[in-house]
Amino acid sequence: MIRRDVFQAIADPTRRQIINMVADQPLNVNAIADSFDVSRQAISLHIKILVECELLKINKQGRERYCEAKLDQLSEVSSWIDQYRQHWESKLDNLETYLYQLKKERKHGK
Amino acid sequence: MENNTKDRELLITRMLNAPIDLVWEAWTKPEHIAKWWGPNGFTNTITTMDLKPGGEWNLVMHGPDGTDYDNQSIFKEIVLHKKIVYQHVSAPYFTSTIEFEAQGEQTHLKWHMVFESQEQFIEVVKNFKADEGLKQNIEKLNQYLVGMIV
Repeated sequence: MIRRDVFQAIADPTRRQIINMVADQPLNVNAIADSFDVSRQAISLHIKILVECELLKINKQGRERYCEAKLDQLSEVSSWIDQYRQHWESKLDNLETYLYQLKKERKHGK
Repeated sequence: MENNTKDRELLITRMLNAPIDLVWEAWTKPEHIAKWWGPNGFTNTITTMDLKPGGEWNLVMHGPDGTDYDNQSIFKEIVLHKKIVYQHVSAPYFTSTIEFEAQGEQTHLKWHMVFESQEQFIEVVKNFKADEGLKQNIEKLNQYLVGMIV
């Protein structure tokens, strides 16, 4: 089973670039492919992964296929970043507690 | 080289209620840093702490379940009472810059971590989510209880 989640989606620089491109406005698949040096197939695969990860939606208009960004998923990433930040904040909590103890010790010691 | 680090960095700041010499001591002496480094419930063994540019800093964090976590870093820059820069050379790879600013009897601390790449950062955050989220919540509760006792 291949992982398909938002982390998988943004783990690749080309996919991040695609997300950035369509974040402002929907773009058609050909226009996206044209702005990369890699093959059209490679871009199609990236778009497919982004769709599977639910960060992109494809809208058909006649023969054109447009990619639209669905960015609410990205909040999942930022909430995990917040948790990771908490981990570091907790180090500082520990440091604060320790400094408080040190200060108390020094006061009694001298 | 990419100069924009916004998508692969963490910045935390804190005003510490202690003078700069005490904060510096707590940060730079192995016997002190062992007492507060790492999440709650962890103990630490500092095997090397050679506080000079190019000096090694190795510590092992011992998890509550007995798992040991090796941490290897190299100090890059040391400015007495002002700044410590170290590079974490075991995974996850990042560079940490800690700036100290004396403000009377208090010390302002600015802690800036920049990961090697956004992939590395995402990887860390992704792996972290599995079990750490829960641990962190337990920690927060612990912190809260400590606060109640004091």
